Amino acid sequence: MALQFSPETLKKFAETVARYPKKEAAMLSVLYLAQQEFGYLGPEVIAYVATLMGQPPAQVQGVVCFYTMFNTQPIGRHHIQVCRTLPCALGGAGRITACIKRKLGIDIGQTTADGRFTLSEVECLASCGTAPMMQINDDYYENLNEEKTEKILESLT
Amino acid sequence: MTKILLRNIDVPDFHRLVTYESAGGYRSWRRVVENMKPAELIEEVKASGLRGRGGAGFPTGMKWSFVPKDSPKPKYLVCNADESEPGTFKDRLLIERDPHAVLEGTLIAAYAIQSHTAFIYVRGELAFGTTRLEQAVAETYQAGLIGKNIFGSGYDLDVIVHRGAGAYICGEETALLSSLEGSRGWPKLKPPFPATHGLFGCPTVVNNVETLAALPWILDRGAPAYAALGTEKSKGTKLFSVSGHIAKPGVYELEMGYPFKKFLEEDCGGVPNGKKLKGVIPGGSSMPVLRPEEIENVNLDYESVQAAGSLLGSGGVIVMDETTCMVRAAWNIARFYAHESCGQCSPCREGCHWMEKIFHRIEHGEGEPADLDLILNISSNIMGNTICPFGDAAAMPAAAFIKKFRDEFDAHIAEKRCTLAN
Amino acid sequence: MDPVKITIDGKEVITSKGKTVIQVADELGIAIPRYCYHPKLSIAGNCRMCLVEIEKMPKLQIACNTQVAEGMSVLTQSPKVLAVRKAVLEFLLINHPVDCPICDQAGECWLQDYYMEHDRQASRFDVGKVHDRKKTIFGPNIVFDGERCIKCTRCVRFCQEITKTNELTVINRSDHSTIALFEDSVLDNPLSANVVDICPVGALTDRDFRFKVRVWYLQKTPSICPGCSTGCNISVESYQNRIARFKPRINEAVNSHWICDEGRYCFHDLAGGERLTTPLVRQEGGLVAATWEQALQAVYSGLKGSSSLAAILSGRNTNEEAYLFARLMKKLRADAALEVFYQERQLSEVEKILVSPDRSPNFRGARDMGVGSSDGFDGLLRLLLAGDFAAAFIVGEDLTKAADPATVRAALQKLSFLVVQDTRVTETSKLAHVVLPAMHFGEKEGTYTNRKGRLQKLNAALIAPEGALPDSEIFAGLLELAGEKNGYGTPGQIFAALAREIPAYSKLTYDAIGAQGIELDSGGRAAS
Repeated sequence: MALQFSPETLKKFAETVARYPKKEAAMLSVLYLAQQEFGYLGPEVIAYVATLMGQPPAQVQGVVCFYTMFNTQPIGRHHIQVCRTLPCALGGAGRITACIKRKLGIDIGQTTADGRFTLSEVECLASCGTAPMMQINDDYYENLNEEKTEKILESLT
Repeated sequence: MTKILLRNIDVPDFHRLVTYESAGGYRSWRRVVENMKPAELIEEVKASGLRGRGGAGFPTGMKWSFVPKDSPKPKYLVCNADESEPGTFKDRLLIERDPHAVLEGTLIAAYAIQSHTAFIYVRGELAFGTTRLEQAVAETYQAGLIGKNIFGSGYDLDVIVHRGAGAYICGEETALLSSLEGSRGWPKLKPPFPATHGLFGCPTVVNNVETLAALPWILDRGAPAYAALGTEKSKGTKLFSVSGHIAKPGVYELEMGYPFKKFLEEDCGGVPNGKKLKGVIPGGSSMPVLRPEEIENVNLDYESVQAAGSLLGSGGVIVMDETTCMVRAAWNIARFYAHESCGQCSPCREGCHWMEKIFHRIEHGEGEPADLDLILNISSNIMGNTICPFGDAAAMPAAAFIKKFRDEFDAHIAEKRCTLAN
Repeated sequence: MDPVKITIDGKEVITSKGKTVIQVADELGIAIPRYCYHPKLSIAGNCRMCLVEIEKMPKLQIACNTQVAEGMSVLTQSPKVLAVRKAVLEFLLINHPVDCPICDQAGECWLQDYYMEHDRQASRFDVGKVHDRKKTIFGPNIVFDGERCIKCTRCVRFCQEITKTNELTVINRSDHSTIALFEDSVLDNPLSANVVDICPVGALTDRDFRFKVRVWYLQKTPSICPGCSTGCNISVESYQNRIARFKPRINEAVNSHWICDEGRYCFHDLAGGERLTTPLVRQEGGLVAATWEQALQAVYSGLKGSSSLAAILSGRNTNEEAYLFARLMKKLRADAALEVFYQERQLSEVEKILVSPDRSPNFRGARDMGVGSSDGFDGLLRLLLAGDFAAAFIVGEDLTKAADPATVRAALQKLSFLVVQDTRVTETSKLAHVVLPAMHFGEKEGTYTNRKGRLQKLNAALIAPEGALPDSEIFAGLLELAGEKNGYGTPGQIFAALAREIPAYSKLTYDAIGAQGIELDSGGRAAS
């Protein structure tokens, strides 16, 4: 059973590629489609995208492994990314991270046993004025304190 | 004071075309397409004195003029929305709350270089901002403001919103182009320069969000109105992102040349909790930190900040009070650069992490007396010897922290711990 | 060619527009150190080792990507340049493992060499080196060590631009950047081992050569690859009279900087096997040792008495040997059927970059010498297997590999007289009436003419085992029995003789061949 996009995603793929002057420019967009469809970009998915894009799989792998937002391993349903760069650090990011570690019982880079959360530390998210803050999947949570942080985690299933 | 970029930032629903147009939006775009020749437009923007707001401060009109007019190759305009410089969050604000200004500016710039395909490269983490931009683009297509034969002029222009995937280096224009071409975000060798050999080897201009967002106003009110603001060499207004130990963090718009100290103490409310200012970075983490006494007579414009030994950069103002361990701060920034180095060239690839490791051991009480001069030497070995300015961006803060707070570093090493009161 | 005048280290030079500083420096013999730059690959500009000072430019510039401009003044030895070389080397060395004692590259390692020439400073690094995969098999011929790698990307660019097979990529970022294959793919394209040659350090090493011998013990002999008729220029590198490896020699007219994997390792087969060290003559019990006098006499009598003769020369015999062979066979029987071994095979697209479809490096030269007929080798082989010949003289080839072994053996057994001249025992030699021990490509001096008509020189790298004679001496001995004493002492003398006789070679002299060879139609001018 070979891996492939669903018919709807194949359609999206075709539309995406058509927007760009050259097919290869669509690579990042196509990788996002693949990540959304398959959860993460494992070797099979990389090989599939390589075939779709007409590129050597090694080259696609080189691209995937360069960018932090592409996951080559499965992660939890909610990817908690706490900013750790200077302005957030000055704003108490360390306390937020410690709070999350305590609450979820996981360390940085780990996923909760129930697959709900993965915790990462990331670099500046362009939200320095509302530090400390975190990104969970596509959403920003700003002006955090420990209480707010715990409530946010509790609200995510 | 005159607000240009933030004049509509608090207007509800300003991200919607109907609201934007009702406030005069796309009037400049129409005027440009219907009444202006590209050469005229370039001259107008040159006359305004607008300089790139991404960090380098290069005159925008001049950058546009480097594109060869009679090249048979397609030309590309890229809006650099990859804002990732620590301490900087002004582009995000514009993208989320005034995306049409960004878009209109993008269109104007595209027209200036006669590009028929414009890209907006947004950093991947700004999902909400990306959606706002995509909506804005969809609205303008629907309204016939972009697409084929705009306003019946014969000029075609397509706009593609392209999402990055998490790499600070992609804010560097040639790395952005590599990424847009579908590759790793590796900066390209210069020469050749993007103006002649950019995206896919074609003439390309990359402009920052804030730079582009100023264009509709400039075209509406005229270059002299913009040039009347600011200083002789730093015209117009600039957005400053203020964060750290400050009472009122946020994005501020100032006329260029505004006094730095006044800005911090009055407009931003000063350092809270009765603490004293210890250091401030004026232009994003790449720029050398300044001690309080060093900003006494500094104004927020390119020349004044440079004369003080730092750079205006992206205008990301990071404020640090007396509770800040500068060793820890320096390490934090060194870690950022070590993580974000693309890894292509040897001084940066190996040197950034080397500096981070030394800062780390100083911070953790295992520093050696020779460590500080070693870092300074590593920093100067990186400066100017790399493919792109990232090397300099990593080298400058490392050296600046040590130079400006040498005593604290020495004490931290000697005592094997942070010597601050708390 | 727009002329441009520049100054390098105070010396004025006229060069041409479009050249880079490093190219001009290389042409002038001014040494600018470099890792990532390679004349046959795209410019990467990532190592920063070639930074030089250009007057009036505030920053140092990489010589590999700086085009010459009128009036440019380049300094390759200024204090700034000398200092930056130390700095760049330091950066490359901080995470480099101190593997020298166990690394094959030692002795030809560009980190070692540049360190000794440009650096010589003690290490200041003590915060823990970055670790990576070590001794990772990349393919049948290649081992990768990620810690030794300096990320110059020559190997990646080679696979992208030369073979276009794209096996390698760079993964990750920062100082975790490393070279990788995709999943379980293998680096085994037909030119793969060239990445070992171009890797400046011991990150990519040859599995065949691994731990064999330290490179400073190697004796290096320029020669020509005996693999096929492309005639790639090689260096035969030997130790204690055994070949340790082949390395390519640069020849832009033939093989550029490359050799194929098959050619690179062909010495194992061609210089190996159970060596013949004495002539053998068949008696009732089997093949027994004989003296050269006895053996040559037996050959002469046997062939003179045959009713028909097929004579097959190996494609690996030199022009000098082929010339004597042709004279000899014609002298024995005017109607002798002579052919040089020649069989073609299908080539893959990557092979076609370099490889010729045959395994007969000197088939063209041999035919030029008269070893050829209208039937071609296939024709002759067919006739031989059909039993059309009473006698055969086979040099340097095992015919059981040329067609169905059983058929070949049966046909050879039916011959009334079979002479085999070879370096080692083969299935063919076992069936002979007389076996003559000869020498292989690595033990002889002489010339090959490649497929495209380029005359190139082999040099002897090894001394043949006691008991074996050079093929030319064997043919000369037989010619003497046949009544023609020529007294040629050296290959050069034989060449002079063949040049007198064969029009295509008439304008050429042995001494003019040189290290890069010479085109047959060059009219005698040596290759530049």
